[in-house]
Amino acid sequence: MFAVKAVSGQFQQAGSSALYAATASLTDEGKLLIQCVNTAAVLAEVARPDYRFGTVLPGLPVEVQLRSGAIFRPDDASWRWPQQTAGSGMAAALESNRLSILAAVLLSPLLLWWIIVDLMPMLASASVLLVPDHIKQKMGEETFYTLQKTALQPTQLPATQQATVNYHWQMALQKLPLQQKNYQLYMYQSEFFGANAFALPNGTVVITDELVNLLQHNPDAIVAVLLHEIGHVEGQHSVRLVAQSLGATLVIGILFGNPDGVADLLLGSGSVLLQNAFSRDMEREADQFALKQLKTLGKSPTAFADAMSALLSSKETSPESEPALLKYLSTHPATRERIEQARQHQ
Amino acid sequence: MDNIVGSDSGPIETTRQRPAKVQFSGQAGEFFGIWIVNLLLSIVTLGIYSAWAKVRTTQYFYGHTRIEQQPFRYLATPMQILKGRIIAVIIFALFTVASMLSPVLAVLLAMLFMFASPWLIVQSLKFNMRMTSYRNVRFAFHGDYVGALKYFVLLPVLSVFTLYLAMPWVLKKIDHFICTNISFGGVKMQVNTDTSSYYIAALVAAAAVFGVMTVAAIIGVVLIGIMAATGAGSAGAAIFLGSAGFFIMYFFAFTLSAAIYHCMIRNHLFERTELPEVARFKSKMEVMPYLLLTVTNLMAIVLTLGLAYPWAKVRKTAYLASVTELLIYPKADTLVDEQQADSGAFGEEAAGLFDVDVSLA
Repeated sequence: MFAVKAVSGQFQQAGSSALYAATASLTDEGKLLIQCVNTAAVLAEVARPDYRFGTVLPGLPVEVQLRSGAIFRPDDASWRWPQQTAGSGMAAALESNRLSILAAVLLSPLLLWWIIVDLMPMLASASVLLVPDHIKQKMGEETFYTLQKTALQPTQLPATQQATVNYHWQMALQKLPLQQKNYQLYMYQSEFFGANAFALPNGTVVITDELVNLLQHNPDAIVAVLLHEIGHVEGQHSVRLVAQSLGATLVIGILFGNPDGVADLLLGSGSVLLQNAFSRDMEREADQFALKQLKTLGKSPTAFADAMSALLSSKETSPESEPALLKYLSTHPATRERIEQARQHQ
Repeated sequence: MDNIVGSDSGPIETTRQRPAKVQFSGQAGEFFGIWIVNLLLSIVTLGIYSAWAKVRTTQYFYGHTRIEQQPFRYLATPMQILKGRIIAVIIFALFTVASMLSPVLAVLLAMLFMFASPWLIVQSLKFNMRMTSYRNVRFAFHGDYVGALKYFVLLPVLSVFTLYLAMPWVLKKIDHFICTNISFGGVKMQVNTDTSSYYIAALVAAAAVFGVMTVAAIIGVVLIGIMAATGAGSAGAAIFLGSAGFFIMYFFAFTLSAAIYHCMIRNHLFERTELPEVARFKSKMEVMPYLLLTVTNLMAIVLTLGLAYPWAKVRKTAYLASVTELLIYPKADTLVDEQQADSGAFGEEAAGLFDVDVSLA
């Protein structure tokens, strides 16, 4: 047995806080010998399967761990054991290499951007196909039930007005090539939603009394709003939005862990901005759907612009009050942008 | 005993207690390389490498944190972390999908989660303590589900009925539960914290929030007055300035009160905690340096779009180490954890199915 190289360091028995100044040497056959510096006594002598090397990290010594639970740590942080496998230092080498660091600085944000902007929406769209129809049916029913119990009150519209809305709705449904067949329109009075309309994944479309009243002299505008809601259903937006938010939360959670306090706040607001961006994209998609179908019905796309203008003025907000930065905090695109889109639609 | 290495080169004093400081030798530049390369590898491997990244990062910070030249060690293996993450991802996805399916199911699941979370907290503390070692002696956590349910769920919920007036007391109980259940080498921590200290810390933190809001309101009123008088600025600009101002004020009040509470409670908790015959602790945090550190860290992270994160983390760890002191008793040099010495093994052989930290982070 011939000790090739002795390295000085410190030895500790398993579960014991006593420290021994020691030297470690490894023979060609891979036998590890640890000797006390002061007494020259042999502290440990083990063969290859009974010890292993610890993680290689920049700036830290590589310890030897014995199966018994004892450890030896070299004093020299830059000491590398000749018997370490070639791959063991690879991560540390990449982490200290200027080129790989530069590559990581450039590539990480690009890839992250690509994952969130392209890959995630793509996966979300694909995941829609995995959700069976009866699940969407159930999603719609359950949500509708909860809303009926909480935010919706029976409609107060006169029967004639209801009939007019229903007539236009039926006409539109008959003329359009829609994928989903069981569309149902409901009217409700709602203080909670105000002048609004929404759609559920099972084809339930709700328009509030407040919105019907707001657009009562412009039936085409009502049709435009309803088409926008149908666009959400046809595009399967509820399922996609959940899939995208889930994906984004997982990516951010896994990659950035739980950074303390302030960074957490930043990541938190980051994912809110991201979700709002997803939501705005889907609103635009539904807008485009509505504009296209309005033309199919032989109506002017400006009907959609009329609906938006009416909503805008009903909220009594001055046109100036949508400052540039606030748009990132919104779940919908700026109303004026939507009106412009509708007016320019060919 | 002459073969035992002391903290200094001189003769070793094993009969008297001695003061010690916590040293942190991690470097921002070095950690930046580790962080960014691990981030890229995690992205490229679709998150799988993040388990290795977590282990390497923790080992880096533990290895650079030393008391009397002896580093802490993180013993978890990447596979353990990976298992925990896979479980966490599955649970999280199931919860999200189920809550999407039905609002009723969402409420039921939230209730279920409330009762499952104490188990997860205990599991996580047990795992992380067992995976932490100093001078080759492991820490351990002995808290059980019932205790965690009481302190993390029941008391906080009940404190709502006292209009949160009981909250500082609840926070004291939570800290007490965590700390008294931690042991090092078989020696359990003893904690003797005062309820009054928690109330004082909470009051000072609340007063700070109130102070910031008052100052902000005065500034706001003065600004509106000036704008109205001079006719400068449109309504849109006013709304924007208002919301930006509100956000900054909210953030500052939050950071300030958190800094005050953190400083006062950490100092008190350390003062009143000891490992009998092994060590006593001391924390000398000060509000202003810590607040400055937190605010500058955040600004650096924002201005560099996140690239300053490693620098901020190293800076904060170094600060917390620098304000921490210990008094070490002779028994610390001869501690033997019987259980650990017997179990021997590389670690993973002994690990059971649930020897994981179910956590995304």
